[in-house]
Amino acid sequence: MNVNFLLKRLAGMLPLLLGVSLILFGILHLAPGTPLDVYADNPSVSPEALEQMRLALGLDQPAHIQYFHWVRGFLTGEWGYSIRTGQPVTREVVEHLGPTLLLGGTSFLLALLLAVPLGVVSALRRSSAVDYGITFASFLGISMPVFWLALMLQLLFSVQWRLLPSAGMTTIGDGSPLDLARHLILPACILAFANVAGWSRYMRSSMVDVLSQDYVRTAKAKGLPGRQVVYRHALRNALLPMITVIALDFAGIVSGAVITETIFAWPGIGRLFIESMNGRDYPVLLALMMIGSLVLLISNLLSDIAYAIADPRISYE
Amino acid sequence: MAKQQRHQYSTFRNSVRTALLSTILLGGMAAAQQRGGTLTVGLSYDIDTLNVYSTGFLHDAVAPVIEGLLAPDKNAKYVPVLAREVPTVRNGGIKVAADGKTMVITYKLRPNVKWHDGKPFTSADVKFTWEAVKNPKFIAESKSGTEDISRIETPDPLTAVVYYKRVAPDFASTLFTFGILPRHALIGKDLNTDVYNTKPLGTGPFIVKEFRRGQYVALVRNPNYWRKDAKGQSLPYLDAMNFKIIPDSNTLVAQLRSGEVQMAYNVPYAQVKQLDALAGMKVVQNKVLSWQHLDFNFKGPAALRDIAVRQAFAHAINRGAISKALGGYPQVIDSVVVPVFDTYNRNVPRYPYSVTRANAILDAAGYRRGADGIRAKNGQRLSFRIMVQAGRANDEVAQQVIIANLKAVGIELKPDNKSGVAFREARYNGSYDIWYGGWITSADPVYSVFFGSKGVNNGQAYSNPRIDQLLTRAESTLDATAQRTALLAFQTELMKDLPSLPLTTNISMIAVTDKLVNFVPNPTNMTNFVDVAEWYLRR
Repeated sequence: MNVNFLLKRLAGMLPLLLGVSLILFGILHLAPGTPLDVYADNPSVSPEALEQMRLALGLDQPAHIQYFHWVRGFLTGEWGYSIRTGQPVTREVVEHLGPTLLLGGTSFLLALLLAVPLGVVSALRRSSAVDYGITFASFLGISMPVFWLALMLQLLFSVQWRLLPSAGMTTIGDGSPLDLARHLILPACILAFANVAGWSRYMRSSMVDVLSQDYVRTAKAKGLPGRQVVYRHALRNALLPMITVIALDFAGIVSGAVITETIFAWPGIGRLFIESMNGRDYPVLLALMMIGSLVLLISNLLSDIAYAIADPRISYE
Repeated sequence: MAKQQRHQYSTFRNSVRTALLSTILLGGMAAAQQRGGTLTVGLSYDIDTLNVYSTGFLHDAVAPVIEGLLAPDKNAKYVPVLAREVPTVRNGGIKVAADGKTMVITYKLRPNVKWHDGKPFTSADVKFTWEAVKNPKFIAESKSGTEDISRIETPDPLTAVVYYKRVAPDFASTLFTFGILPRHALIGKDLNTDVYNTKPLGTGPFIVKEFRRGQYVALVRNPNYWRKDAKGQSLPYLDAMNFKIIPDSNTLVAQLRSGEVQMAYNVPYAQVKQLDALAGMKVVQNKVLSWQHLDFNFKGPAALRDIAVRQAFAHAINRGAISKALGGYPQVIDSVVVPVFDTYNRNVPRYPYSVTRANAILDAAGYRRGADGIRAKNGQRLSFRIMVQAGRANDEVAQQVIIANLKAVGIELKPDNKSGVAFREARYNGSYDIWYGGWITSADPVYSVFFGSKGVNNGQAYSNPRIDQLLTRAESTLDATAQRTALLAFQTELMKDLPSLPLTTNISMIAVTDKLVNFVPNPTNMTNFVDVAEWYLRR
């Protein structure tokens, strides 16, 4: 892999992002309602005032002009103001991004630490009770509705045992690392749960695949200890396809765990998205969707790079 | 007034008798009891700003901080707060011009009131509030009342003379009741972006300590609050109040059960019994100034303009069944004026539940049943879309009952539910056939916004000159008798013409810890927290 490849890939993202922005902008403008409808049936906002706001927000101009204004602003860092709260869009996004990254990152690590060993064990003990047990648990995990599981955990840990807070990010007036950690446990576990289930299945099948390969058999035949075969040769190769899956799932963190954030009253991107959607808050929505697309493209790129590093035989020209 | 539509299901009222009784009993105890405690309230909506004029939401978290000149009490009657008395014609506070077209209101302000920063509150603040909210550059959700005022004079620091361009009997439900803005802190500032929006400066019993967007608002006791209790002790009794944002209703219930939150309103009907049974928790029922109804769109299918069809709807819908489906809490009503008001008309034309009569009316009007059981006339089938706000559980339950009821008389209704801005836009533009929802009003409702030809909330394009005339009369007189007569006649006319079919009242369910003393809910579209100074938590 070389710098040229990287540059080419990065350059290729620009038209993609532009296309994405065009589509998103189009869809938003086709959807019923504008930000001003919040005031439309309000007797205290006169039609003149509404017209004034329409002019101020540039909503009177044709869609393509609005689009160009928006692109220009976006590129120059002028992301505008949220129509709903009057806050600068950048501040809104940054304020909500932190909590989302904290929650997403924690659950991501948690899921990774659980999924890989589970998948490996499952593959090594193929068709054993352990394998069946793990398989059963992961299917349970994939098919269990998040809101239900969340409710059950809240009932057990918060209502019954009073061990953990049921929602929120900090206790009012506290906010110490320990307090934050206590609030993080339930939502992070819920978020991790679904990923563990999926990833451990990937890990298992990938490992099973690798274990049946000739070189593994050769290594075994040469008399290498089983542990060394599994962890030095097989695991490394089995992790390759996982990298792609995991890197792509990383984008999901930023686009937000909408349901989990709502249930646990976590002030992240997911909730900001829902609130902005309901208010047709174009500036915030567009910024969020563009960031989401960008992160997706970048994690795509990262997964390619990681793949190349993990397996030097793969090279991109 | 301004908050009528967004505040459906948002405020409450206890029956007058219970309210009075509890005030007497608990008020007596207050003196002997301890004070203090921190009350944490769960809110189901996200707070966008703490400026009462910028938000369409209720003022829950701001009400303990910002005070107005007047406030509606537990009986939906205005009482003085920063004013010394409620101005009336009788006490000379209101003077109507000789031609009967304009009026002047003189507010006598309470002396020795201080803003949270120690500066004195004066009539200049009153004048500034009007100017700041009226300012076209300020994008406000609530500007109602500003246009009615032509000028304000401040002859001395404790007198504000407000000149009105019209006789406005609803003056108390707007501007100066929402809250007074501090002139010294805001003059020359941009109210759209000022720090005031996250840390408002008020005169109220509590001070904003911290507002964390999407999470909570933390308030602490104002040690220099102007009000004292009957024994001369300083108020408020509570040490602190918190408002926690919990968007998910199941989570809110879990928080109530685990004690993380001590109070929440608009608890779903389905969870009331469960919460009431919890030790240490009680559910208070509040009859809010709100009613549920069906609106027929006059720009919609032609059949909806046929009075026979609307009458058939009225007879076909089993309002008792709707109430029952909603836990039996909402009360069946016959008029759009809720029975709490003395202007409620008991003698309007009534439409008792009767499938036979609904069928007979439709038969007589020439609507014949087709092969599929749905009636039609001249090739026009009686098939309509019915809209409720998507995701609002109580409304969706009622919608199911209504659909089933109408099917029995050969009318087909198809759900057409929307949420957020799409819902509001549809209601405003009238892009629906039939609309089910609720309105909540202030203590002195203005019905012309809903039923007047030019009413802002009249998305159904209903127009009836007689109703316009009656409402104009009711809304431009300070004579209570004349107002009542006009409102009674308005209700009769409305129920004859049936543009809107009132179905049930709304009850707001407040789950609250039984340790909270002196809490009495408020039935208006203001908020429950307008009078928190005397609340405290028993240890």
